[in-house]
Amino acid sequence: MTVIDNIAERLGINNVQTDSSGVQWFDIGHRSVRELATAMKACRARFVTITATELPGNDGLRLDYLWDLTGQLLGFSFHLDTNSIESIFDICEATDWIEREVHEGFAVDFVGRAYEPLLLREGNNLGVNLREEIR
Amino acid sequence: MSYKIPMGPYHPALEEPYKLDMICDGETVSDAKLHIGFNFRGIEHLAETRNYIQVIALMERVCGICSNIHTLTLCQAMEKLTGIEPPLRALYIRVVMAELERLHSHVLWAGIAAKLMGFKTMFMTCFALREKVMDVLQAISGNRVNYSMNRIGGVNRDIEDPLALLSMVEELEREMVHTIIPIFTTSTTATLRCAGIGILTNEKAISCGVVGPTARASGVPQDLRRAAPYAAYSEMEFDVPVEKAGDVRARLLVRALEIMQSCRILRQALTKMPSGEFNTGDGKIVFSTGTATSRVEAPRGEVVYSVSWKENSRNPARVHVRTPTFQNMPAIRWMVIGARLADTPLIQASIDPCYSCTDR
Repeated sequence: MTVIDNIAERLGINNVQTDSSGVQWFDIGHRSVRELATAMKACRARFVTITATELPGNDGLRLDYLWDLTGQLLGFSFHLDTNSIESIFDICEATDWIEREVHEGFAVDFVGRAYEPLLLREGNNLGVNLREEIR
Repeated sequence: MSYKIPMGPYHPALEEPYKLDMICDGETVSDAKLHIGFNFRGIEHLAETRNYIQVIALMERVCGICSNIHTLTLCQAMEKLTGIEPPLRALYIRVVMAELERLHSHVLWAGIAAKLMGFKTMFMTCFALREKVMDVLQAISGNRVNYSMNRIGGVNRDIEDPLALLSMVEELEREMVHTIIPIFTTSTTATLRCAGIGILTNEKAISCGVVGPTARASGVPQDLRRAAPYAAYSEMEFDVPVEKAGDVRARLLVRALEIMQSCRILRQALTKMPSGEFNTGDGKIVFSTGTATSRVEAPRGEVVYSVSWKENSRNPARVHVRTPTFQNMPAIRWMVIGARLADTPLIQASIDPCYSCTDR
């Protein structure tokens, strides 16, 4: 049994797809981001990043969480209808700055944590990556 | 009585602007906060307005030190989206460029560290040597900062006579072995200034998810060249230096040993470079819809690019860049707590921070 099979079995996930760049994407179903973060931490995976992408039309946002396990990238994708998702900062300290950056760039609220300005200064508006005048 | 000491955003100890607010009890730092964003240029945003040729030139400007690494990581991601495989010679040339860039970055850092130690003769020695590394980069690419080497499907320029570069690499290695490395590893000045300060424990390094030499100096043996090889690294023999002390001296030692390993990789890449094409030519490039992720071990650690494209579009839909300093900088807080105020410039410099990369 491979490491990926092992994780999939532990999470109860049947569907794991590999993309063109070799990332193993887990079909997360209704699992919460905190549940997955706890599982990743338990298997000593290293947090890599969160990529936020604005979907076309008014389809909301997609957040892709990437973790590294002995050189293999593991991915979990979340579709946000509302601009909020639970924070995993208390589970994984390494997510601090990227949660703050996504909060400032895409106005996503990571529920359960406090923010301090990271890239933006006091008084600047959130959602710099969503501004019409820049687009 | 505790008081707040700001360092930055403009300060003699900082190469670029960022701010470290330190709470001190007497001369001892009891806590610290970091503030970035002074170099924010909106590059990820700009990338969405550039086509697949222009975006390479744009991303080369994310960083002035590891410019080649950014185009390499981006091109690898775009190659995955287009299904284009670069020829083997191009992969070897990419290794040569990446290792030369690592050499010049590490020597640059050594110079800055020497300056912060009050060891200015060493600063001049390091920068003189760095010039020689840049001469080699110029001999290959015609450029000294932004090399314009990478493209989708390979590299823009060939190394016509790889063996001719060997003598330059050997000269660099000789100077590293006889001058720079002994001084940094054995001199009393360097040892007294660096040993036992700015400690990042192994547990904290893992918890913060730090990368590159900062992680390896805290006993975390991660290196993408070994764990997830790209370009032609799977054909190179090299060691991954790891130190356990987690202090500034350990970070210095790791980089010194990595300089030796880079020279070792360079010798292999130049000697074994296969003949053949160095890119796939100017054929039509067709992107498929999707997202590709690419990672490279930059001089400061792992760089991650996540690139999304829509079929028939000339521009990327999204380019996300996660730079090593973005991941390493939060750990500075843990390194400076308990340190003497006078040591903090050297401690923050010991992660070899790049604020431009971080802010993008």
